[in-house]
Amino acid sequence: MIELNRRHFLKGAAASGATCALASVIPGSIAAFEREPLQGVSSEVASICEMCSTRCPIKARIVDGKNVFITGNKEAKSFGGKVCARGGAGHSLLYDPQRIVNPLKRVGERGDGKWEEISWDDAYKEIATKMNQIKQQFGAETIAFSSKSGSLSGHIFHLAEAFGSPNTFTHASTCPGSYVVAAKAIFGTKMKRDLSNSKYIINFGHNLYEGINMSETRGMMQAQMDKGAKLVVFEPRFSIVADKADEWHAIRPGTDVSVALALCHVLIYDNLYDKAFIEKFVVGFDEFAAEVKQYTPEWAETISDVSASAIRRIAHEYASHAPHAVVDFGHRATFTPEEFDMRRALYAANILIGNIERKGGLYMGKKAPGYNKFAGENIAPVLAKPGVKGMPKPSAIRIDQVEKQYAMMWSSGGIYQTILDATLEAKPYQLKAWVMSRTNPMQTLTDRAKVEQAIKALDLVVSCDLYISETAAYADYILPESTYLERDEEIQDKSGKNPAYYVRQRVVETIGNTRPSWQIFKELGQELGLEKFYPWENMQTLQLMQVNRDHSLLENIKKVGYVSYGKPLMLREPEMVSEFAQAYSNARALDDDGTYATAMHFKTPSGKIELTSQKIEDMAPGRGVIKHRNVQLKQADELYFIQGKVAVHTNGATHNVPMLANLMSDNPIWIHPLTAGRLDIHSGDAIQLISSVGREEGTALVTPGIRQDTVFAYMGFGSKNKEMVRATGKGIHCGNLLPNVIAPICGMNLHTTGVKLVKI
Amino acid sequence: MNKRYVMVHDENKCIGCQACNIACRSENNVPEGVTRLQVRVEGPFGEAPHLHYKYNRVSCQQCENAPCVEVCPTGAAYIGDDGLVTIDDDKCIGCMYCIAACPYKVRFINPVTKAADKCNFCKDTRLARGEQPACVTACPTDALYFGDANDSESEVTNLINTKVTYQEKTHLGTKPRIYRIPTKRGGIES
Repeated sequence: MIELNRRHFLKGAAASGATCALASVIPGSIAAFEREPLQGVSSEVASICEMCSTRCPIKARIVDGKNVFITGNKEAKSFGGKVCARGGAGHSLLYDPQRIVNPLKRVGERGDGKWEEISWDDAYKEIATKMNQIKQQFGAETIAFSSKSGSLSGHIFHLAEAFGSPNTFTHASTCPGSYVVAAKAIFGTKMKRDLSNSKYIINFGHNLYEGINMSETRGMMQAQMDKGAKLVVFEPRFSIVADKADEWHAIRPGTDVSVALALCHVLIYDNLYDKAFIEKFVVGFDEFAAEVKQYTPEWAETISDVSASAIRRIAHEYASHAPHAVVDFGHRATFTPEEFDMRRALYAANILIGNIERKGGLYMGKKAPGYNKFAGENIAPVLAKPGVKGMPKPSAIRIDQVEKQYAMMWSSGGIYQTILDATLEAKPYQLKAWVMSRTNPMQTLTDRAKVEQAIKALDLVVSCDLYISETAAYADYILPESTYLERDEEIQDKSGKNPAYYVRQRVVETIGNTRPSWQIFKELGQELGLEKFYPWENMQTLQLMQVNRDHSLLENIKKVGYVSYGKPLMLREPEMVSEFAQAYSNARALDDDGTYATAMHFKTPSGKIELTSQKIEDMAPGRGVIKHRNVQLKQADELYFIQGKVAVHTNGATHNVPMLANLMSDNPIWIHPLTAGRLDIHSGDAIQLISSVGREEGTALVTPGIRQDTVFAYMGFGSKNKEMVRATGKGIHCGNLLPNVIAPICGMNLHTTGVKLVKI
Repeated sequence: MNKRYVMVHDENKCIGCQACNIACRSENNVPEGVTRLQVRVEGPFGEAPHLHYKYNRVSCQQCENAPCVEVCPTGAAYIGDDGLVTIDDDKCIGCMYCIAACPYKVRFINPVTKAADKCNFCKDTRLARGEQPACVTACPTDALYFGDANDSESEVTNLINTKVTYQEKTHLGTKPRIYRIPTKRGGIES
């Protein structure tokens, strides 16, 4: 058996407590500690992955005290007991010599890479003193708090609320925000995709075979392979999902909205739409129909390069499979500044065929309270939401609360980029400090130079992270968080067609001097004098509050890891509704058509699906109706620059994780052979990309799998700080080439821009 | 009847995500810098828009006529009762004849044990516990199948009997036991 002992390397490297510029060992890193065998808490633990935001249910087993074999939790059927490469490699974080396991304090200039270790108590004291000073002098609102949304983000945002700052931000406006806000505008809630039962799937660059979301990736593959579903992909590059598709159309970047609207045009004017559904459940159809009259396939062809005949044929094929067909509304939603109407147009194409709450279409999550009401009995336990009474109301507005058009984002993660203007231009007022957790804006916020400028201008920057990430490198204090394999957390709701819960649990004993972020922000809150907002002791108390002190329920959720209740239910699917009603004797009576369709309630002003929205019209005049607007994404002499996901990395997060860095540490630029030929560029050549905000050097990958007018890079590479040893300087830094943009209504940033390509 | 363990790799279902590669490393403690298993995404081949990738599983083929066993001077490389090409670390002298002889280029010297190493279908780890190999267990899209081809009831037998499959470099007479289901689709506009 192979022995993975780094002890002799570590012996010569013990630098604990020392102040030093970056040598081979970073103070506070594991390299400065002795390695002990992994201590598992039991032979196998059910938990939740955190290598990306899908948060798959996992099972973890210690292998010979050296590493952890992580696989999926089979209890979660749609996840199939599977994990991806990132999930399987999560354990290589644990003993990564570059992982930070002691709090650090900056001793040089921001970004200089000079650190010294500091005790937790001293770190809390110094940070709290500065935060309270800033609060006194400038107001609590001048401190922004940001975190990748997820299981523990509630704790940093609770601290923000207790402290009195309204300025909390998730990563929403840098990734999923617009499809969420578009769904809320139309349906009043987020929607889910039933890909596995779909017979015809239209996909606009949602690369589920590289941006793996286990249940959806498996669902789509099962639909394709086992059920013969047809997959149509519109994407500027030949991705894995394009390869697996029945049809790939190399659409012009950022023009998806024209094709989506042309599909709607054909559905309406070729009389392919579900009139009964529209009549009963939809408002604003007439305005929408009048608007899309002009959006013919012939018109869309001139914008998108997708042939009119293909659009027409696809619309007919799609409608012929209705309602068991779907237009995927995507995930990374940053293709165009007209994101809001792009995503609304994609939802519209679903609404027109009446696939809502039908197999293979879109549906709403069935959480315990609503589900129990349908069943007429308590099929699933309803979890309590531990809250704290008497939280202070912030006196200031949010920094993104200036224009009413963004109102929907204020409660959906905020507009992350507004931190930049608030810091650099005091718009709408001056920010003084930034406290962040598990977020890497240097990679994800676009216009890296501006992000760096902003961070350097602040009085206090605190980062809670596993590594000295590209952003943490500019912090004054780094508070090292325990990895997800060392943490217990609250029970999470994972309901789909029926209610389900799962929970993250500690798999191994904590390594080094790290703490879970719920504890870090609680202890910092207490140091700030905010004890009264923390009436709970630890994670166990919170979990017990959630289950209303039902110990056996908690034990069961922990033991099984993922617990689901009842039968799957889609309200307009007669067979499912009938089975549901038969199973529960007090179940709601069926409608005349044998469904629960009349029970569908949408949390919109009209209570119906709003294809056209008066609410949006009031927020932003002229935007109530979904429409096409011309946008310029590049200059005539530039190439489109687009990005995407690779299966072995997660955006701004995993590029330094040892096993994953070994698989892929560079992102060569995809260039079409003719584009390369004109510049005498060959695969492997050094090239430069120049945009309006930055320039980046990388290598060329000449491939026919990209449009001639487009270059592509996988996102998240090219880290510029010295501490990310495996990632630094390798590949193109995408955020350094993208200008800072705030899209209308949804506040999204933009991942499509123009670049000049130069051979060097 | 003896077992005849085989693996079937469905290239239609494979997305080249490397979950198999990572699962293998984790279960078998494969050191950095060497690999027992990877899926190479090769291509795209063809003319746009009619392109396609090849998802090429690169790992020991568990040959029935194994050149590595033929050339091993010490008997370290042998075929066990289970039919699997196996290495006895204690007998390996690191001469690398097997590495030179392997037509599939999947053997390496393990930098920790200093013995030749390669995929053995998790024989010492998961198979010994009655489990499927790590790669099969992890595969997100169920592209891998493992089982006994001498068992007429097994899924792998059924697949080999009913699907178009191919094996790599069969002209060498190695009789590899990795079967591949070739890609049918490939971004072709119908």
